[in-house]
Amino acid sequence: MTASAAPGKSAIPLATMLRSGIGLTIGRIAIAAALLAAWQIASGTIVPIFWISNPARILERLWSWAVSGSVWPHVYATILTTGLGYAIGGAIGAALGLVLGAWRRAERIVAPLIAALFCLPKIALLPLFVIAFGIDIESKVALVSVVVVFLVLYSTIDGVRDVDPDLIDALKLMGASRDEIVFKVILPSTLPWIYNGLRVAVSYALTTAVVGELLSSNRGIGYLIESSAARFDSTGVFAAVLVLVVLCVVVTEGLTLLERRALRHRS
Amino acid sequence: MTVCRLSGDAQPRLQGRETMIELRKVSKSFETRGRSVKALDTINLSVREHEFVALVGPSGCGKSTVLNMLAGLMDPSAGEVTYRGERVSGANRRVGYMTQKDTLLPWRTVEDNIRIALELRCRSSEAGERGARLREIIDLVGLNGFEKHYPSEISGGMRKRAALARMLIYEPETLLLDEPFGALDAQLKIIMQRELLRITRVRNMTVVFVTHDLAEAVTLADRVCVFSGRPGRIRAEREVLAAEPRDVVGMRFTPEFGALAEDLWNELKDDVGKELTT
Repeated sequence: MTASAAPGKSAIPLATMLRSGIGLTIGRIAIAAALLAAWQIASGTIVPIFWISNPARILERLWSWAVSGSVWPHVYATILTTGLGYAIGGAIGAALGLVLGAWRRAERIVAPLIAALFCLPKIALLPLFVIAFGIDIESKVALVSVVVVFLVLYSTIDGVRDVDPDLIDALKLMGASRDEIVFKVILPSTLPWIYNGLRVAVSYALTTAVVGELLSSNRGIGYLIESSAARFDSTGVFAAVLVLVVLCVVVTEGLTLLERRALRHRS
Repeated sequence: MTVCRLSGDAQPRLQGRETMIELRKVSKSFETRGRSVKALDTINLSVREHEFVALVGPSGCGKSTVLNMLAGLMDPSAGEVTYRGERVSGANRRVGYMTQKDTLLPWRTVEDNIRIALELRCRSSEAGERGARLREIIDLVGLNGFEKHYPSEISGGMRKRAALARMLIYEPETLLLDEPFGALDAQLKIIMQRELLRITRVRNMTVVFVTHDLAEAVTLADRVCVFSGRPGRIRAEREVLAAEPRDVVGMRFTPEFGALAEDLWNELKDDVGKELTT
């Protein structure tokens, strides 16, 4: 509105501008632009284009993927694999964790088995899953589930252990039944722990899905990276990695938003 | 047992009442770092229906342990605890227990915490008629305006009051109270004492009340039991007869009240002194 800014306005020192919110954004864009420009100039002059491609080509590739629609099945496959594996693994991990956390004797029996499986690099199971479920996404879903189960399981067990026994006693004296104690004390008290496990598991789920796709699959962003690399198409590799970055940021930010809604009493 | 009459026209309140709670030769030891520490040594205590018993004594004398055993949260090492003639084993659901530590659920608001007992299946049929009582009881403990706060957002004294309200709302026949008013300021303490007396008389509740405050014990109780230091024993008992309804402020200014408080203090001070010098 006040377009006729004071004449002194252009005299604002650079430092003050950098400290303000707009300045910060401008600074970030400037650094990104400088890096991209350096990349663009260096490729084909200092470093052969074959190795590092260049931003213009990558952008062009992304555009053509988007226009032809060829990238979407891959994005969809990765999201589906991550989401399904995460949901299955999270549900099994939380349920198993609640049971084992509340039932100490069972937990003590299976603890060494769980510990052994936990330290196993789960990716080693992929060939087994491919034999069992085939090259399509099911084998990667299974792999993601296994990774997520252990992360959620351990934090759920810790959460159940952390439940204040005095709260359980208080409800018992009021006449609460066994399942009322589970649903009114143990579960709500463990929820932040389960949530914490789930939160950590998100990036593991995405990583596992992509690594699984890299190793053996027929679609997905990991597959896109791998198949581009197999054709020595560095532009394709960079473009696919960029898609992955965007996906990762969207997922993480979404999670932070959800987190703010819940758990007010902990503030 | 010595009977102390605080006013001339005071009548015994509990004649012909049956024994409700009984501890017979109860001892309790705890294992800590491989050593066995005796907390209670051969306690005998019986509480009649509708009786208000106060337990006083130096800290660590096992008063809270007695409450834990009455609630069925702890078993005696020796002896027997009975409630209405039955041996107490496992959580005793006929008592309301307010522990020193408030056991409010941190993820529920004050209001939802107070209401929780009414949500339980064993009580769901009465929930409707008592639901209206929620407002009244929040008023009573002075928590208006804090209904929607979480326990982490209110003070320690307010948490105590919320815990008290949570227990009173479902009207258990026996109340076990472990220093319920310790964290309250003097005025609020008097209001709460008056209300506790009123409610327990109207509902014919039996009360076992642990406190450090001798004046509070004399004001409220039909009987005061003085515990000795560890291992805890009951070293003195006084029956308190006062005119009903008790005037929790006025009765403090009578000479009889002062004499009884001094008498109890004499029973207590040796152990307290010992505690201070060691």
